[in-house]
Amino acid sequence: MSENETNEATPNPADERSKLLHRLAVLSVCLVWPLIWVGGLVTTYDAGMAVPDWPGTYGYNLFLYPLSTWIYGPFDLFIEHGHRLLGAVVGLVAIAMVVAALRREDRRWVLWLTVVILVAVISQGALGGVRVLLSDRTTAMIHGCFGPVVFALCCVAASVTSRRWWDRRRAANATQSAKPLGGVVLAMATLPVLLSYLQLVLGAQLRHVQPLTTPGTFTLIVAVHIVTAFGLWLLTPVLFVLVRRCGDLTLSRPAGWLIWFVGFQILLGTGTWIVNYGWPSVLEFLPFGEGFLVRSKGFLDSIIVTAHVAVGSLILATSAVVLVQVLRQRTLATHV
Amino acid sequence: MKSTVDATPFFSLPILAAPILVAFLLCGCDAPVEHYPPNEVYSLVVSAKLDAPTELAAEDTTAALEAWFGTPIEPRWPVEQMSRDGAKTLVSLENLQRAAGPVYSDQSNRHFGLFNEHCVTCHGVSGGGSGPASLLQNPYPRDFRAGVYKWKSTERGAKPTREDLLAILRHGAPGTAMPSFRQVSEDDLEALVDYVIYLSVRGEFERRLLTEAVVELGYEETRPDDDASLLTLAGFDQDAFAVEVARDTLDRITGQWVDADQAVIPVPEETPAGDASIERGDALFHGRIANCAGCHGKQGSGDLVTFDFDDWTKEFTEGIAVTPTDREAVRPFRKAGALRPRQIHPRKLTEGVYRGGGDPETLYRRIVAGIAGTPMAGIMVSGEPSATGLTGDQVWDIVHYVKSLGEAK
Repeated sequence: MSENETNEATPNPADERSKLLHRLAVLSVCLVWPLIWVGGLVTTYDAGMAVPDWPGTYGYNLFLYPLSTWIYGPFDLFIEHGHRLLGAVVGLVAIAMVVAALRREDRRWVLWLTVVILVAVISQGALGGVRVLLSDRTTAMIHGCFGPVVFALCCVAASVTSRRWWDRRRAANATQSAKPLGGVVLAMATLPVLLSYLQLVLGAQLRHVQPLTTPGTFTLIVAVHIVTAFGLWLLTPVLFVLVRRCGDLTLSRPAGWLIWFVGFQILLGTGTWIVNYGWPSVLEFLPFGEGFLVRSKGFLDSIIVTAHVAVGSLILATSAVVLVQVLRQRTLATHV
Repeated sequence: MKSTVDATPFFSLPILAAPILVAFLLCGCDAPVEHYPPNEVYSLVVSAKLDAPTELAAEDTTAALEAWFGTPIEPRWPVEQMSRDGAKTLVSLENLQRAAGPVYSDQSNRHFGLFNEHCVTCHGVSGGGSGPASLLQNPYPRDFRAGVYKWKSTERGAKPTREDLLAILRHGAPGTAMPSFRQVSEDDLEALVDYVIYLSVRGEFERRLLTEAVVELGYEETRPDDDASLLTLAGFDQDAFAVEVARDTLDRITGQWVDADQAVIPVPEETPAGDASIERGDALFHGRIANCAGCHGKQGSGDLVTFDFDDWTKEFTEGIAVTPTDREAVRPFRKAGALRPRQIHPRKLTEGVYRGGGDPETLYRRIVAGIAGTPMAGIMVSGEPSATGLTGDQVWDIVHYVKSLGEAK
């Protein structure tokens, strides 16, 4: 019997899945990444305390703050209030995801995943509130570290509710010959998640550095950040080669993207250093570095710094999706 | 599969909690900085120079300083201790309070905590130039506490004018980590200038008072009698000898800032910048009197091997007979907060990069006064050509030659 005939004979569970839940999960991904960008801009512009109260804005209900004052007011207020509004929209989408999962999602763990996302979004909002009310940079840092976790969870939700997630089971059933990816592959898929998160935490340490942090500590964090970045970059092609062997594009594609994302992130990291602290001595051999002028609050400079933050989240989320797909492959192959 | 699936919510809790825990463990709580860190490096320098214990003097100096100058949260400007009106109005207390403290802004886009927002990561809380990111910068950020500034329009030993400080904030220093703050409002820049002057006066006062405590007031391993104790600065005995010494010291420091405008180097009208002037400048640049090539190399190529350090480094090394490359000897100062001694190199003039500004007037003043705190010496300007100095026209010739080196690129 051919593979196609087998697929035609087997009822496709993908047809039974909740398309609404998947669309909402994709919507959450599309909203949370820009939310991370805006949040990154808030930190880049030191605008976290542009609105001193929370959950309202200058005494107004969040949704009732005058549009004209928001749009035409100071840029700091514009991005901080905008960040809050977008966060509130993400909260509404997270609620809708839970409702959609309750109505038409057989997998209990997916239902729980949507609940976790909702709790995470609420916690993230609360962290933002605490950061404002206490005017506390450490909470700001935790808020910054937790955003990428929310984004990664949303990406995982979008992945596990997609048609391809179910199609893979059909394919596995059809071929009857899939071998589970080994423990080494699992370890190699777990490492990027851990390392990329470590990178986010280290990056947040540098971004929200305390005034009394010693130069030695700061230098050590920078050194670990750089070494880990290159370590992660070396790891990504290895992971790509390992997962490619199973011949599944849903696995090898994101693993391939990781190589580009981390490479691009290293460039952005270099750019971030340059626009913050000038041309580094190690790059003195490049002809155009001499005389480089750092510009405080320059727009392009801010975009580079914020892109570094956002791409860091993207790497974490992609790594998480690869890990989930590896786990999926191992489970399917074991059950065949 | 089922068991794995059911366990997900239980695993999710640690996933959510982990980042928070990791972040807390790594950085601790965000406690506001309540006190300015004392200048421990200078305390060691005084101890080494005078061969005397300085621990007690340093402790009392810190207490006295806080009484007069306040804290990073609530800075003060001790007008009641100043005798000159110009000193009393040298900075605005409102600006100091706006520049200090936590970072926030209001609906009218008025920013607060400006020093923390823009400067503290490099210059540090007390303006000591050893902020968290300082070690990775070349050159190191400026230590305001010595009261020595490179980029100014005034004579070598004088303080910069307000306009000089504003200029460096607006233009930045190309080729260094010092940014251009052109995007920052003029009000905010004025507040930052006030705060820099405040930190500088406070820091220099700390240094001089510490020296006076040992030399003049008799601080040793024990405190001198009440009249000479620095603790009187925090009390009500305003006639005490220590208060008198402290007031004199403060007057001398603030006086230099008040008089800075009178120390601006006059710049004669620029001479024509033609080939003839450049040719004359070439000869002067490589000549015996100016001898610019002695450090900057032929045609300003900067390829000479030099072994020198700036004055901020020399203070805790060569100034007290410590070899900068002797790690063991330098270690106590490093532990006290000094940055690793790093050589200073003459500027490569062929790049056309001038950190303190490249307009003709600035270059003229740079040649005349040199660069304070560095080995770049000034030159005597006289009305007539002589064997020891240059005329204003000759200085202009050098300026034109130097500009031609950068433009040739």
